[in-house]
Amino acid sequence: MQLASSNQTSRLDNLTLGILGLGVVGAAVGFFMAMTAPPDQSQGFVARIFHLHVPVAWMAYLASFAALGYSVAYLVRRKSHHDRVAAATVEVGLIFMALALLTGMLWARPTWGVYWDWEPRLTTTAILFAIYVGYVVVRGAIEDPELRAKAAAGVAILGSINVPISYMSVKWWRSLHQTQSIDLTTGKINVDAAILIPMLVNLAAFTLLFIGLVRLRSLIAAREAAKEEV
Amino acid sequence: MQRIFWLAWRDLVLEFRGRTGILSAVFFLAVMLFILAMAFGPNPQNLQKAAPGVLWVALAFAGSLLAGRAFGLEVEDGTLDDLLLTPGSREWIYFGKLLFQFSLLVLVGLALLVLTAGLFYLPLQNWGWYLVVLLLGSLGYAAISTFYAGMLARLRGREVLLPLLLFPLVIPVVLAAVRFTQGLAEGIPVAELADWLRLLLVFDIIYVTVCAMVFPYMLEG
Repeated sequence: MQLASSNQTSRLDNLTLGILGLGVVGAAVGFFMAMTAPPDQSQGFVARIFHLHVPVAWMAYLASFAALGYSVAYLVRRKSHHDRVAAATVEVGLIFMALALLTGMLWARPTWGVYWDWEPRLTTTAILFAIYVGYVVVRGAIEDPELRAKAAAGVAILGSINVPISYMSVKWWRSLHQTQSIDLTTGKINVDAAILIPMLVNLAAFTLLFIGLVRLRSLIAAREAAKEEV
Repeated sequence: MQRIFWLAWRDLVLEFRGRTGILSAVFFLAVMLFILAMAFGPNPQNLQKAAPGVLWVALAFAGSLLAGRAFGLEVEDGTLDDLLLTPGSREWIYFGKLLFQFSLLVLVGLALLVLTAGLFYLPLQNWGWYLVVLLLGSLGYAAISTFYAGMLARLRGREVLLPLLLFPLVIPVVLAAVRFTQGLAEGIPVAELADWLRLLLVFDIIYVTVCAMVFPYMLEG
């Protein structure tokens, strides 16, 4: 049993490789489409950064939902697999969140005139970033695997509550940040098809990349855990 | 329900008999206010502008200082396991500790409010609304700090970890409370500030509920 499970986890499976490969190809296609998309009416070519910004921001928020799901699953079922996947989603999500903040800042400078503004959406995203940094620090600080998994799950669950607050903040306080391109609460689409299609391609590509990276990261974590046991 | 009050009452009695925790916290905050008042200079306008921020940041520090008190004694005396052995679900432990933490914070907050009013020229005409925002804000702080204090109770490095986890999560509370207090100090009608109060209320309800639900999982094992 031990042998079988360690065999299963020690090989990089084809599915993960396939997803990662598709994601890379998709991102390349998406990049090409984004670069050939017509310039925005009011913002010109600067708006093209959205083809990167929107998908990574989506993935960052998705990561916190995934982390929430896997954390709850861990607390209920107590399978270390769930804990490892939750940790992987947070770590990969942290990278995407950093990218979202960075691309947002690069876009804000020519458009708003400043890199950073203390505006609800930005602030809540930055807070979210800080929360998940805390998550990683807590994981590093606790050695006992069970205690670590439990504490991490607690942090992830509390932290994820901030996501809906952040999402709604744009609507609650009408402010500098643009309203959502695709409004999930009403289903209204606020952008032109010429921009929407490349954006959706990018979204799909980044989703694949995200899933592939999370799978890869949890595989590595599973290997580490198996090695510690031996 | 009764248990919750007894647990909070017992902790409060122990806290006031010991006196070290709450007294040192208030003293620390008083010194901090003095330093901040000096840093912002003698100009009353500057001081008044800084007052709401100072008040809530000081209370956040108090929250993280006092958070360890809720479970510190239980761990020192080894009574945490006795608490866990009581029959029934464990949410009541959370609520009892929350009530204790909340009462401590409100007491410290009242002292702080008077101190900031004196040192930073915070106008207290609308004292009823100050009280409301103090109660809601303290509840938000206490909800999260109690949860994390319980989670990290048995851990050695908790003094460092606690503020690290606590502060990012309480930022919405600080933000809403500061904005509301600022509005009050500037004499803006409360109806225009109601959004901030609503955010505080929503935040409190959500966090108390979720923390109470997850807390039992954190304690076992």
